[in-house]
Amino acid sequence: MHRLGGVGLAAFDRQRESQRSFAELSTELSKTQIDHLHTQLTQFRSALTHFASTHRDSIRKDPTFRHAFQQMCSSIGVDPLAGPRKGGWWAEMLGMGDWQHELGVQIVDVCVSTRERNGGVIELGELVRMVSKLRGVESGVVTEEDVVRSIKTLQPLGAGYEVIDVGNGKKIVRSVVKELDEDQATVLAEAQAEGGRIVEEILVTRRGWTRERARTALENMLLRDGLCWLDAQDEQHGKAYWVPSAMSWDE
Amino acid sequence: MQLTTHTTPSGFLLPSIHAAHAFFTEQPNPITQNTFVNNWIQLILSYARHRRLFVIRVEDAEVAGGDWDEVLRNERINRRVIPSYLTSLISAMVSRDLAYYEPPKQTRSVVLLWRLPEEWADVLHSWGTATGQINTILTMYEITDPPVPSPLSGIPLSLLRRAITVLTRSGRAQLIEVADGEGVRLLAGGK
Repeated sequence: MHRLGGVGLAAFDRQRESQRSFAELSTELSKTQIDHLHTQLTQFRSALTHFASTHRDSIRKDPTFRHAFQQMCSSIGVDPLAGPRKGGWWAEMLGMGDWQHELGVQIVDVCVSTRERNGGVIELGELVRMVSKLRGVESGVVTEEDVVRSIKTLQPLGAGYEVIDVGNGKKIVRSVVKELDEDQATVLAEAQAEGGRIVEEILVTRRGWTRERARTALENMLLRDGLCWLDAQDEQHGKAYWVPSAMSWDE
Repeated sequence: MQLTTHTTPSGFLLPSIHAAHAFFTEQPNPITQNTFVNNWIQLILSYARHRRLFVIRVEDAEVAGGDWDEVLRNERINRRVIPSYLTSLISAMVSRDLAYYEPPKQTRSVVLLWRLPEEWADVLHSWGTATGQINTILTMYEITDPPVPSPLSGIPLSLLRRAITVLTRSGRAQLIEVADGEGVRLLAGGK
């Protein structure tokens, strides 16, 4: 009677022998696959390098192209802006990291230099406009998206830069470590709609606030936070508040 | 709203903050107020320099039609500096040595120091040198109201005296009694 592998002590040896052969074969197969992957990766990398070096200028200069490029990167799970720790070569290749960090520095510059008059809150569009002015480029070259992304790269610094959505499609950038409560965000949104001017009545009629609540929110912003200014010569109400971050400054 | 700079009929460029309604109200928040005061002082002094105005009075905020309307009023947004605000701006300038009450012992009128007395002293000495009047005895009137307009034309007497004091201290001028009052003799020599 012949069983597969046979019987007796010799069968143990034979089995060990075949297991070793299988293991060898598997190692060999894995190695081939890894080699193959390495080749593919190298190809991918060189293709990307080629793409990056070819389109480097367009990426830096053309906002539409940059947007498309960012989308492509996020869809394939590559972060072109990842700092020196991860994906460093990628940022290096594009010079994109530099561009973004440089923009970050300019954002900080604008936020700090206007803080005295706006209390550390600036409208996103206004920030974009002032950064563009600082860079000496025409509007549209730096987009809101670029600025928001740069602000994200500032986060590890712990300076408290944050983009806040105040509704009505308006976004503001806060550059002070200070909590904006919900009422203040509402006041900012209404002031945006009014070109900066805000009075108790607007909050009472449009938002259904009590007069007390409106007054408290406005007085806190005026006295405690320095986020708005007082105008004691208002034609309609005698007293109005102006939110400098909702006003457009030309200088 | 858009805050823009504005050129006045006299050719002065008003900063954009002058188009902000609240700029014309004294602010209850001390940090904001400090910013506003800095802006106001800078504005007042540069306008004074632009138009060679030496004096500002609380009256300038009380009645329209004076030299200061272009700055103290903004007709485009219907705002003006009220007299009590101007009083406090004036006092801030005095405390920063950028103006002094003239006459003394009142707080409604000041001489503006858009040049400090030390700077006026240099202006006076260079003018004397350039016009060949070193060692000549000059009356105050000859300096404040020279036949050929000079950088010192119209300078208030009190300010001229301060400038001369600076010069006498450094040996560049001498005060001299003359028949109808006093005069000054500018002396050559370095500082």
